[in-house]
Amino acid sequence: MNEILGMFQGLANGFSIAFSLTNLTFALIGALLGTIVGILPGLGPAATISLLLPLSFKIGSPVTSIIMMAGIFYGAMYGGSTTSILVNIPGEAASVVTCIDGYQMALKGRAGPALGIAAIGSFIAGTIGIIGLTFVAPPLAEFALKFGPPEYFALTLLGLLMATLLGGSSFVKGLIVVVLGLLLGSVGLDPISGAIRFTWGFFMLQEGVDFVTLAMGMFGIGEILINLEKELTTELVTRKITHLWPTLKDWAESKWAILRGSFIGFFIGILPGGGAVVSSLVSYAVEKKVSKHPEEFGKGAIQGVAGPESANNSAASASFIPLLTLGIPGNASIAMIFAALLIQGVQPGPFLITERPDVFWGVVASMYIGNVMLLVLNLPMVGMWVQLLRVPYAILAPIIVLFCCIGVYSVRNTVFDIWVMGIFGIIGYLFRKVDLEPGPLILAFVLGPILERSLRQALLISAGSPFIFFKRPISGTIMSFLLIFIAFQILARFRWRKRL
Amino acid sequence: MGRVKHPGPGFLPFGLALCLIILSLALIFKSWKGNISSTPFWPQRTWLRPLLGVSIFIFYALAIERLGFLLSTFPFLIIWMRLIERVRWRTLIGISIGTTAGLYFIFVFFLEVPLPTGFLK
Repeated sequence: MNEILGMFQGLANGFSIAFSLTNLTFALIGALLGTIVGILPGLGPAATISLLLPLSFKIGSPVTSIIMMAGIFYGAMYGGSTTSILVNIPGEAASVVTCIDGYQMALKGRAGPALGIAAIGSFIAGTIGIIGLTFVAPPLAEFALKFGPPEYFALTLLGLLMATLLGGSSFVKGLIVVVLGLLLGSVGLDPISGAIRFTWGFFMLQEGVDFVTLAMGMFGIGEILINLEKELTTELVTRKITHLWPTLKDWAESKWAILRGSFIGFFIGILPGGGAVVSSLVSYAVEKKVSKHPEEFGKGAIQGVAGPESANNSAASASFIPLLTLGIPGNASIAMIFAALLIQGVQPGPFLITERPDVFWGVVASMYIGNVMLLVLNLPMVGMWVQLLRVPYAILAPIIVLFCCIGVYSVRNTVFDIWVMGIFGIIGYLFRKVDLEPGPLILAFVLGPILERSLRQALLISAGSPFIFFKRPISGTIMSFLLIFIAFQILARFRWRKRL
Repeated sequence: MGRVKHPGPGFLPFGLALCLIILSLALIFKSWKGNISSTPFWPQRTWLRPLLGVSIFIFYALAIERLGFLLSTFPFLIIWMRLIERVRWRTLIGISIGTTAGLYFIFVFFLEVPLPTGFLK
């Protein structure tokens, strides 16, 4: 009982922080930027947050900068559907499935209801996700206090494996990306003994590869270079958008889809390695399965828009849970926010809620406010944002490149960092050329030090016996889950190959 | 590197390197067994625009130290939008001036970051 009271008190404090003028302004900036990058194809939330990492040094308090970055992340989930519905190109990755039925609805002259139900579903699901975050995070953090090195090792391993399994096209390629990310993360001083590793005599590398430079190169520059190859044409179905408010019939058809999507999104978002992209795919599959008229899917079924769009929003809110309670980010965007917290001197983990309640509750409260802002931005004002699709990539690309250059320069005032970023940009471009996803690399880079420290500490505790990971109840459960999961994957692949 | 009982700084990197070798072999084996697709890496001169982008980027990184922010950013925008894309001159000049001024405003006035000034000191 006392604990629940404490949560409400924390939330009230959070609201008093989030309602300050600065924080409201930055929540609005985050929501605006999120909507914009969600709408614009070829620029995702992870890339945008990486662009703003250098600014987070300058903005001031950690609460304010995280409020803005969180706004970009969940705001992009709102904006993404708009482009999917009107142009048949996903504005960002989590809205891929919305293209299927959303575009069909638009072709039939029902763009308005599609956009409307996407925004309303996003709002409901986003808010459900945040309510979940509010009440699940504090007890989970308390539970996580019991975690020792073996548990952390098991959790990070699970997160990395899930991210490769769920995110990539090929499992082997995904694992290669993860291993490369872990190796990159081990450059610099060894966290335990202080020995210098892989610096090849470069003094600048002793502190390790700089996260901001890596992220801006792989995501910012890399994404621009790959987009230069293709012509991004944005042909709108319609410019006139009417009947945004769904009719009673639309509402009756989609309310359960929204609810189901919210819960699917929440549970997938909580998983290490899960995230918005996967949750929208799962939600679409579920909607198709439970529908009485599965033949309508692909021809403009409103549930095919409502479900996935809800799922990706509640997953976005829920993916803050592993970050803020365990200190383990689950996807690339959250990894950027993790890095931003570290840059600001805040250590995300089980102690965050007790040690920095202002950060935790301030950000959580701002998410409630941000969702209301986004509903207003996306429902009555959607016509305005659609005009953004007229801004050609030709103009946007050089501006983003410049922003990266100046941004990365501003961190340490050296042109050296611009060069390093350029090299990572080319690597990021080549990664995308050969179907390697840069997301898991960023995740592995961030999780690398946690994985290494916990592995070596655990082995020190057990005097070299790897069974320590299986003997302790929590890590044992996670590890056996992992093994079952891998066995299942191998089996599934084997059977799949037989069928061919 | 240390032993399993007492893992040293090279312990994880060594393990990772082993994983990488195994995974690479698996990938080679997979592509060797499967039929090799014959799509070219860069079909129809698609390499041209990324290459131009990288070249302009290199020139920018070289120029910014010597010429300073203002004298390198403005030409950067013009060259990029003219060489890679075909933006009309009127729009191009307007956007170049606007962006240069905007970035200068954000970084110098708002964030108080010292930008390279080059020889214009």
